[in-house]
Amino acid sequence: MPTQNGNNMSVIRTEGLTKVYNPDQVPVHALNGVDLTIEKGEFTAIVGPSGSGKTTLLNIIGGLDEPTGGKAFIRGTDISTLSDRELINFRLNHIGFVFQSFNLIPVLTALENVSFIMQMQGRPAKECREKSIELLEEVGLKDKINKRPSELSGGQQQRVAVARALASKPDFVLADEPTANLDSVSTAELLDMMAELNEVEDMTFIFSTHDQRVIDRARRVITLVDGKIDSDEERTVDSG
Amino acid sequence: MLKYILKLGWKNVWRNPTRSGVVIITVLLGTWAGIFATGFFNGMLNDYIKGQINLTVGHVQIMYPEFEDLYNPNYAIPNAENLIRTLQVNPDVDEVSGKSVATGLAQSARNSFGVTIWGMDIENDTSVSVRSIKGYLEEGDFPEAENRNQILIGDDLAERLGLELRSRMVLSFQDVSGDLTAGAFRVAGIFDSFDSRFDENFVVVNKADLNRILGGKNLTHNIRIDTDDLMTAGVLAEQLQDSNPDLEVKSWREIAPDLRYVFDMQDLSLYLVMIIIIIGLIFSIINTMLMAVMERTRELGMLRAIGMNKSRTFSMVMLETVFLTLVGSPVGLLLGWLTITYFGASGIDLSAFSEGLEGWGFTTMIYPSLALKYYLNIVLFVAVAALISALYPAWRALQLRPVEAIRKFN
Ligand SMILES: Nc1ncnc2c1ncn2[C@@H]1O[C@H](COP(=O)(O)OP(=O)(O)OP(=O)(O)O)[C@@H](O)[C@H]1O
Ligand SMILES: [Mg+2]
Repeated sequence: MPTQNGNNMSVIRTEGLTKVYNPDQVPVHALNGVDLTIEKGEFTAIVGPSGSGKTTLLNIIGGLDEPTGGKAFIRGTDISTLSDRELINFRLNHIGFVFQSFNLIPVLTALENVSFIMQMQGRPAKECREKSIELLEEVGLKDKINKRPSELSGGQQQRVAVARALASKPDFVLADEPTANLDSVSTAELLDMMAELNEVEDMTFIFSTHDQRVIDRARRVITLVDGKIDSDEERTVDSG
Repeated sequence: MLKYILKLGWKNVWRNPTRSGVVIITVLLGTWAGIFATGFFNGMLNDYIKGQINLTVGHVQIMYPEFEDLYNPNYAIPNAENLIRTLQVNPDVDEVSGKSVATGLAQSARNSFGVTIWGMDIENDTSVSVRSIKGYLEEGDFPEAENRNQILIGDDLAERLGLELRSRMVLSFQDVSGDLTAGAFRVAGIFDSFDSRFDENFVVVNKADLNRILGGKNLTHNIRIDTDDLMTAGVLAEQLQDSNPDLEVKSWREIAPDLRYVFDMQDLSLYLVMIIIIIGLIFSIINTMLMAVMERTRELGMLRAIGMNKSRTFSMVMLETVFLTLVGSPVGLLLGWLTITYFGASGIDLSAFSEGLEGWGFTTMIYPSLALKYYLNIVLFVAVAALISALYPAWRALQLRPVEAIRKFN
């Protein structure tokens, strides 16, 4: 892997990212040259109107989709140079994912869901279990570790997903509209928790959202319009 | 195999109990049907072979070399009594029966028909050749030695010639001096075997009567030997041929090539039956497992997205099918064995279809049976079928592109 003194590198850096869907039929220019750098420990929201390219950008950064042009580096690694197989492993070991829904395996308990990703990383069973319990405690689900997703509320399920995302010790956590299906109380709780993990574990979070209350909690807000960065502002928020 | 993938595969089995139940029952029924159909077919072929052997062919036959060409009654076996006595003490021989044989015309007032006439010592011969014909007697009695010229005919011949019990009929054939001769017989009994060809073409009379009309004393044209094993009949035939170079000794394989064909093809036929059932099984498993995969598009997409590699995804889906098979197959095996054992003892009565079957020489009671090796092979086949049918759904699970699957989340 072409990685150069990874630890000094920005967590994420993109250069002129473009993405064209259906280039042969009716081309959709989802991204039109996105240059972006995200450093360790950021708590960043990607916002913008529907169809502005938020999901597309997150998918490319997350190694789930390939850009049409430009480059994406994760800690200095140009992920477009990775083979399919390498990319899967890269996602497993470097990126934490929280999706809007369907994050969990329905037949596994919260504990098993969190352990599962560590087991795939090949870590010893004892470590998987202990670390999972610790993380589930951190996200406030101490008494729910043996519940299955169907026995948990939407907000609790998302918290298990966050615990799972952290369990693999990723370089950063990507969350595409993690609160879209949550009520305002659960949204606030999830955001509190993510902010706390950001502080305590120094974990980098990048999330997309439409929700103004979520935007208000971000310390950096990148606004996309028509596949371009329209504004990029740092801000201070009172955590609490 | 990784333990947590095993565990997940097992848990996936129980996420949709109805569907898993369908697969389990499919596997169970497939295994059962495979066993039952094979056992049934095996029993049918065994009965067919055994019935034909008992009724007409026997295991080994001894004749004068030229006799078979024209059925010239002069070609009787010389010193047949002595030969029969030595055969009776041969340890490889179970039963011996000597008969005189003629071919001729059976006539009634209404009609005539070409038949083979067997002159048998009906009263004293206790061998299977006489026993099996006696077993098929439907009306009347066996010809008795003190009543001259009684005859046993089949129901199909009776119908053709318009004969009933105690009807009179005439048999005409060539005698030892080459002249045409005839005898009037009275129908003592009518038999109805599983084979309508036999019932039409063969008649049985007392050996003494036939020999008297043929004009020879103690003529024996055919010695039939039965052993305890069809397979070794050939060896016995060769031995007897060596010790009786002037006679012609043939095993059932030479006498009845059609039976030999059925016998030799039996194995193959049984495997064909199995394979047909297994193919049906494969398609129904593929169908259900494909549903299971398609239904989990989003979940599989999520797993691939967070970093589950192809071999793990593949194993997970494969294992699910393997588990389903592991539950269904042994139960089907047990049920199959029970069914075969039960019907193997009580028999399955097919007399409702007997006319069609008799035309083909099949018996109407089928006793299914199956050797252990077939049970083992069926289980093996089902296991292979399950693996094959898991391949395609598992492969489809790999074709899924995580981005597309994830797009569907939102
Ligand atoms: N697979 C695809 N094929 C074709 N066009 C696509 C595909 N995925 C996205 N698009 C288009 O690309 C553009 C950007 O889509 P994207 O989903 O990234 O926007 P978004 O900002 O995430 O929108 P939303 O807020 O609604 O989630 C849209 O015009 C969308 O219709
Ligand atoms: Mg989106």
